[in-house]
Amino acid sequence: MPLITRLFIKTGLVFLLFSLIAGVLIQVESVSIPNLQILFWHTLMLGWITQIIIGVSLWMFPGRKREETFSNQRWAWVAYVFLNSGLAFRIIAEPLLKLSASTIWKLLLIISAMLQFIAVVAYIIEIWPRAKGKKRHVKRTKE
Amino acid sequence: MPSISVWMIRLAIIYLGAGVLIGGLMLIDKALHLIPLVWILLPVHIEFLITGWIIQFTLGTAYWILPRYLKTKGRGKILPAILMAIFLNMGIVLVIISTLSLEYSFLKLFGRVFQLFAIVLFINLHWKRITSYSKA
Repeated sequence: MPLITRLFIKTGLVFLLFSLIAGVLIQVESVSIPNLQILFWHTLMLGWITQIIIGVSLWMFPGRKREETFSNQRWAWVAYVFLNSGLAFRIIAEPLLKLSASTIWKLLLIISAMLQFIAVVAYIIEIWPRAKGKKRHVKRTKE
Repeated sequence: MPSISVWMIRLAIIYLGAGVLIGGLMLIDKALHLIPLVWILLPVHIEFLITGWIIQFTLGTAYWILPRYLKTKGRGKILPAILMAIFLNMGIVLVIISTLSLEYSFLKLFGRVFQLFAIVLFINLHWKRITSYSKA
């Protein structure tokens, strides 16, 4: 299993843990963290499920180059770094923006949105040509 | 990878891109309050990412990757597989139309029924493929 896949899966597990802790905290009345429900859903759906799908597809889909060099996997690395930094920025900014309308939290939220979108675009660039039929795969390998 | 999987996976990727774009715009609006109308698209964001992306991607990949039938080496009948992909995406489109227009809100039921048919077809196609090649 390539390093990038292991990183996606293990980081996904960390987000899964985070989301389940958030799920517990939501139920505790004495704890009130703003926007925790939103963070619960996004760490679960994006941080865990989407991240594990991305990680496993990068490994299992046809057309993966065996050599694990950065240039061979650059879009996957962009997706990993941007997705996780974007999600981390959101975890910081969402509750704090509710507590104070400071420009820094607004800026962090905007950066978070952009990072997550770029991460998805990078993943699409990597995986789109690899979602292909056997004939096209064989043809491309011969070339 | 069979054509049905290619199509389902590629559609799922398109839904992922569109869903995250809408989500990003909503996040930016949270900070700047520039595009409040984007919140109308919240149900579309959820539908795109849960049904369009996660469910469609997993179904498409499962169709490709689950063990094939031992005797025929195939994945079963092709028509139900095509219908599965069509029904799932018709369901998504109908649910989206129903959430965007009050006039067509009745379409949500039809959309969910199409999605249900897609899943029934998926289960029917794959139930016997969830097996082991070893006899032990």
